Amino acid sequence: MSQIEELREIIIGDNAAELGDLKNRLENVERRTTDVAEVLSPAIDAEFRESQARLVSSLQKPVSLGLKKAIRAEPREYAEILYPVMAPSIRRAIAQALSSMMVTINRTIESATSVKGIRTRIQSLRTGIPYAELALRQSLLYRVEHIYLIDRETGMLIDEVAAADTQSLDSDAVSAMFSAIQSFVQDSFSKDSSARLTDLRVGDHNVWVAHGPRVMLACVILGDAPESLKAELYDTLDLIRTEYSAPIAEFDGDNKDFDGVPNLMAPLLQLQLKDSAISKQAKSGRAIVPLIILALVAGFFTYQWFDRSRKVSTVEYYLRQAPGIATTNVYWDNDQLIVEGLKDPDAKIPYGTLASYDLDENELRFNMIPFRSLEVDMELQRFRQEMDLPRGVYLSARNGRVFLYGEAPILWLSNNDARIRQLSADRRLDISNLSASFESVSDMLRDNFDRDDLSRIRMSSLVEDQLTVVQITGELEAGKLALLSALFAGSRWVSITARQRVE
Amino acid sequence: MSKKKICMVGDFSVGKTSLTQKFVNNVFSEKYLTTIGVKIDTANVGHTKLIVWDVAGRDSLSSINASYLVGAAGVVLVADGSRPHTVDDLNDIWSTVTQRIGDVPAVVALNKADLDDWGVGDDKVTEFRSLGWDVFNTSAKNGQNVPELFERLVEKINA
Repeated sequence: MSQIEELREIIIGDNAAELGDLKNRLENVERRTTDVAEVLSPAIDAEFRESQARLVSSLQKPVSLGLKKAIRAEPREYAEILYPVMAPSIRRAIAQALSSMMVTINRTIESATSVKGIRTRIQSLRTGIPYAELALRQSLLYRVEHIYLIDRETGMLIDEVAAADTQSLDSDAVSAMFSAIQSFVQDSFSKDSSARLTDLRVGDHNVWVAHGPRVMLACVILGDAPESLKAELYDTLDLIRTEYSAPIAEFDGDNKDFDGVPNLMAPLLQLQLKDSAISKQAKSGRAIVPLIILALVAGFFTYQWFDRSRKVSTVEYYLRQAPGIATTNVYWDNDQLIVEGLKDPDAKIPYGTLASYDLDENELRFNMIPFRSLEVDMELQRFRQEMDLPRGVYLSARNGRVFLYGEAPILWLSNNDARIRQLSADRRLDISNLSASFESVSDMLRDNFDRDDLSRIRMSSLVEDQLTVVQITGELEAGKLALLSALFAGSRWVSITARQRVE
Repeated sequence: MSKKKICMVGDFSVGKTSLTQKFVNNVFSEKYLTTIGVKIDTANVGHTKLIVWDVAGRDSLSSINASYLVGAAGVVLVADGSRPHTVDDLNDIWSTVTQRIGDVPAVVALNKADLDDWGVGDDKVTEFRSLGWDVFNTSAKNGQNVPELFERLVEKINA
């Protein structure tokens, strides 16, 4: 044993074994872990009791980082854990949002279709106040727009909640002003130092104030709220006072310890629509909707009646203009326009004209009895078809009569003479200016006589029995004279006064 | 953000409201001064939001409405540097303040420093400083020392 070991033996003595054991414990990681585990939990508890803030501060970052990492690593597991907590709140929020949206849509439809709604829209245009705000004001019984939790002594705002879309000035200044008004009223009008200003009314707005010893809850209401809201206001104030008694007592302008207060105040942000306004407006809306529908239906039928009448008049008018058609009755049978009357087979229905008045050919049905029309236009049409007028011959109508005039080839006159005679006998055709053309008569003579004979023949025009005829004069041999008479035998358009030539 | 109530106090017509207007967000009109005797505005100084109670001035007929002082974290004592008696009156006003809310942080604004007829002697300034007040020669007209006045008060309140 060396001198050093002897010296150690003298100093440590019997404790050498314990020191060895301690050394082993320190060097052995597993053993050390077990030792720390034994004291970890009691140590945390002890530190928590000693200095809650210090322990929280120490653990905040590692716990936060650990949580973030764990959630990223196993999002599904954490989602399942949180689901029972989050889902009901999310469902409630969605249901509430949907319900609000439905109310908004219903009211928008009601207000848009009612007389009152239209009046409100005009008022909005006139005053420049948004339509939604005016409509809401008219249909509101009351709406809690703002809740302020105010420190009574300093007038400083501790926390606030506000309804959506409500305008507000600087809340800190407003709450201080509440407090100032409170002091002003109390100093000016009340000798009782415990008296409090609990109600304010300005125009459509009411301010209700619930007072506690250190804080007050001011509630800004548009419209007339029920008294029961006051009880709720005091209940909420009591709840806040109970749950936040320490932060209220220590409040010095910093509201970091009042985290949950808005959640407690939020239920007070109530909105109640006027029952009568709803029912009246709804009734008015409901009443006007059928009226509009009725007006639309009436308008539709009126238009249909007007359109059908117009079509009947149009058909009557244009068929009356059409030659060879006489209508006796025009009427609607379901979707068919029935036309009854007389129709010349040669008459043409003016489908093109009717189509331009939105009258389709398929829409029309003709129940017509055929007849022969003696209307001038029809006669003209018919004569043109029958006679195949040669060049130089014309048909025209004047003063209800048809005129056939001009110089016609003698052969055409001979072929159509029977028909012309018949028509003129009926006084339907005036042929006073119709005559055979010299050229055609001359051609016929040239075909049958030689030059000598032709030199002895003269042609002139003559009116006989109101008919213009070609008169042939001259002297011919007996045979030639017989030929001449034979050529124009029976023709009333040529008059032969030639004589037999004496040798 | 921490919020602190401060009060502007001083004699009538020393420029409290003009001084305040140079520094705050106007919320309400000045008519409240003549109706309920106070006008409230707000201003941000660093991380502190000041709720500034501009209390109607004291005159021969009325005193400061001390109930408006309750809860104030500090006061700005305002006097008109061209009217020495308004400077002297600050002692009385301070007395009213301390009776109601105790010895709170205070700064003194000797206002209208832009005027030629300045009537505040060094001895008065020394006296005020001996009371622990910071004294600023201010001008609501040209803004002289106005931000510094409020910033110093906030420093004293948060100290």
